[in-house]
This record gives sequence, C-alpha cells and structure tokens, in this order.
Amino acid sequence: MREILKLSITLTIVGLVSAALLTGVNNITAPIIADRQEAEYREALELYFPEVVSFENQRLEDDYFDLIFDSSDRLIGVMATIEQQGYDGTITYNLALDGEGKVVGMLIISHTETPGIGDVITTADFQEQFIGKSLKDPLLPGEDVDIVTGATISTSAMITSIRRVVSVVAESFLGHETGAVDITAVPDGIYQGSAPGLSGPILVEVEVSGGVVTRIDVLDHDETPTYFIESYPLIPELIIAEQSFDVDTKTGATLSAKGIVEAVQAALAAALEANGGGE
Amino acid sequence: MKANPSYLQEFTKGILKENPVLVTMLGMCPVLGVTAFIVNGVGMGLAATAVLIASNLVISLLRNFIPPQVRIPCFIVVIATFVTIIEMLLKAFQPVLYEALGVFVPLIVVNCIILGRAEAFASKNNPLRSVLDGVGSGIGFTLALLLLSSVREIIGQGTILGPDPDTVIHLFGANFEPMTLFAQPSGAFIALGLLLAGVNAVFKRFNIK
Repeated sequence: MREILKLSITLTIVGLVSAALLTGVNNITAPIIADRQEAEYREALELYFPEVVSFENQRLEDDYFDLIFDSSDRLIGVMATIEQQGYDGTITYNLALDGEGKVVGMLIISHTETPGIGDVITTADFQEQFIGKSLKDPLLPGEDVDIVTGATISTSAMITSIRRVVSVVAESFLGHETGAVDITAVPDGIYQGSAPGLSGPILVEVEVSGGVVTRIDVLDHDETPTYFIESYPLIPELIIAEQSFDVDTKTGATLSAKGIVEAVQAALAAALEANGGGE
Repeated sequence: MKANPSYLQEFTKGILKENPVLVTMLGMCPVLGVTAFIVNGVGMGLAATAVLIASNLVISLLRNFIPPQVRIPCFIVVIATFVTIIEMLLKAFQPVLYEALGVFVPLIVVNCIILGRAEAFASKNNPLRSVLDGVGSGIGFTLALLLLSSVREIIGQGTILGPDPDTVIHLFGANFEPMTLFAQPSGAFIALGLLLAGVNAVFKRFNIK
C-alpha cells in the first residue's frame, strides 16, 4: 500500500510540475502567436485590398470567408479560406476576390502534394491563369484554364474548387443573387441556356407558359451518367414544383445539380433580356 | 560498469562512435521525414538536441527521486513537457520552421534517441555527464540530418537554403532539371542507404569502432 502511494505521489508531482511549466510557457507564447498570425493575415489582406479598414468573418458550410470593407463601409472584396482535397491530403488556400467577384490573387497556405509534381499548384504560372476570372468565365479545363500534365489530379482539384468558390462568393456575398430572375416576368416561350457542370457545359431547354416553368429538358451534357441520374430529372422536378431556383442541390452529383439550376437561370435571364425586361 | 570514461569521451561518443543515426539507427522516422530541405533537417536536429539536453539534465537530477517502477512514464512526461515547450516557442518565434517541421515536432516525444539516452544513460549518470552526453548525441543527430538533407536538397531540388524564396540559392541555374526522386520519401531511403554505406566505408578505413 505504501509502495503504491509512493508511486502515485511521484507521478502526480511530475504531472503537476509539467502542467505548471506548460501553462507558464503557453501564457507567454499564446498572445505572441495570435498577434503574429493576425499580422500576417492582415498583411496578406493589404496586398490584395490596399484600402482594407475592417473585415468580418463568415462561415458557410466548411469554408471561411472574410468580407473586406473600406473606410466608408463599402464591401470591396472577399477573402476565402478553403480546404480542398488534393491528390495527397488537404490543400488549404486563400482566394482573394474583388467587389465584382473577380479573382485578384491566390495563396496556397499548406499542401502535401508530391514534391516536384503536384506542387506545381504553388507556382505563379499555374496561379496567374485564374487572375481576373469571375462568375462570367467558364473556369473549365481546356477552355480558359489549363490543367498540368503529370499533375492532373492536383491541378483539376484546384480548378474545380476555385470555380465553386467564385460562384459561392458571387451568389452569397456580392448580390449576384441566383433567384434574381423573376420567373413570372418571363414571356411564354421555349428557351435554351447552358452552364458548366462538373465536366463540361450542360445545355437545357426550358418551357415557360403563363409565368410558370412547365418543362425542363437537358439536351446535352458531359457529366458522368452514373452520377448524373442523381440530379436529373430530380432537379428540374424541384424547380418546377417550387417555381424557384433556391432548390437543394446537395445530391450525389452536386456540381451537376448546380449546373442544371444555373443553365435554367441562364436561359430565363437571356429571355428576359431579349424582352427588354431585364432589370 | 567499466572505469568512468573521461568527460571528453562522453561528449564525442555521440558524434562518431555512437552516432544515433549513422551507427545505432535510432530515430529514423524524422530522419527520413524532414530531410527534403537542409533548413528543415538542421531545424529538426536542433529542436531534438534542445529537448535531449534538457530532458537528460532533468532526468539525471531526478534519477534518485523517481522509483524504478514508474520511471518510463516519468521520462515520457518530462520529455513531452519539453517538446511542447519547444513547439510553442517555435510557433511563436520561428513560424516558418514550425510549419515546415509539421507533425515531426510533437513526434520528438517518441523519438527513440531521446528516450533511449534517458533510459540508458541519464538515469544512471550524474547531471554533468548526462548533459555532455545529450549535447554529443544531439550534435551527432544534427550532423547526420545535415548530411542527409544536403544530399537530398542539392540533388533533389538543385538548391540550398530552400524552400523559403527569400533565401533560396539555385546552385545550377534556372534551367537545371533536378532528380526529384531524391526529394520524395523513397529517395530518402535511397539517400540514407548510400550515406550509411559511405560512412561505414570511412569508419572501416580509419578503424573507428
């Protein structure tokens, strides 16, 4: 009994001394670490947004966004912090977008892609092709941005991720509201529109009658068939049932689902514009 | 135990005769993991050295206080404490190095060199000898990492003092195509094997045993 007591007391003392030491060091270093991280982040912000005065954190699902305001409280840009699965582990990066949703810069914070192959994503050559791109650009491999041979998975993961972030930022923060198209104002007729899905443009045909969407057909797409059935015909049915673009696109094929929604919107937006009624 | 070796011997044995990496093959995990760049390799070496010296000193001081039944948990707590302190200090004052060393800093806790020296040496010797042993083994470990990371960075990347773009020096000009194999984990094994063969040949030639 005495023996056990002695052992326990020894271990307790060692543990307590250790805890006290760690608490002390943590108290000294924690504020320094926090200050330095904030200073580093501010520096990065100022690089892309020289007029930054304040910023506000927002979290949407797994992504973090900082809304950047200037001295007159105007939204001048968004800094996104994104985690994306690469070829080998998670790629964490910042994407800076200006007030119009254009990419102004990107910075890979950490990655574990293969040295000499996948780490091409950190090079200026690869990153510069995204500068100036916005929601209006397709951001598709082979069209306006290129994947790098030998590092296909790393680079196409980045392209897909950036395309997603650009559209999330435009829709959520910059008022490129997806529901902005007023369906009831669209004149009767049959319209076509297209938008990028996961692996290419999706072309849809939309029939509007009496201010109501009555039919949506996908005419052409390059999506993976086994996944595409998760989104089609489910998504068109949802749009018709709700007469809204604010439908749940979280299916087994989320990017295809979003592509369909955006293609329908594009068709109706074009119809409104042709009619001179677009606001 | 034999007659006590001189203090100088306590110090030098860790560098050559009992070099933790090149002779006793301890702590291979960080050796292979962080040596893609010289800066990281040496940083890892110095961090481990600091922990090694501190834990050797403390364990030697406590050697009569700690009952033998619980010595291993006590050693681990002492080592873990120093590693965590080093980790916090690195994060506060050397963030670039901290990022580069990544998971290998917390893994110093289970680095067998440190526990090995604590168990085999510091728990049986006085503080001065233990510190000298720690400094020697630490320098030996750091030198081995320096050797291996030099080979890997120069051949695998064609640079020294990378990856920080402010300090990096391209040795062979911009058009040099490096052997990226050596920058990858498999290259670490190959480079380590070649290095060990070389060191063994040298040791044999000069009769160092």
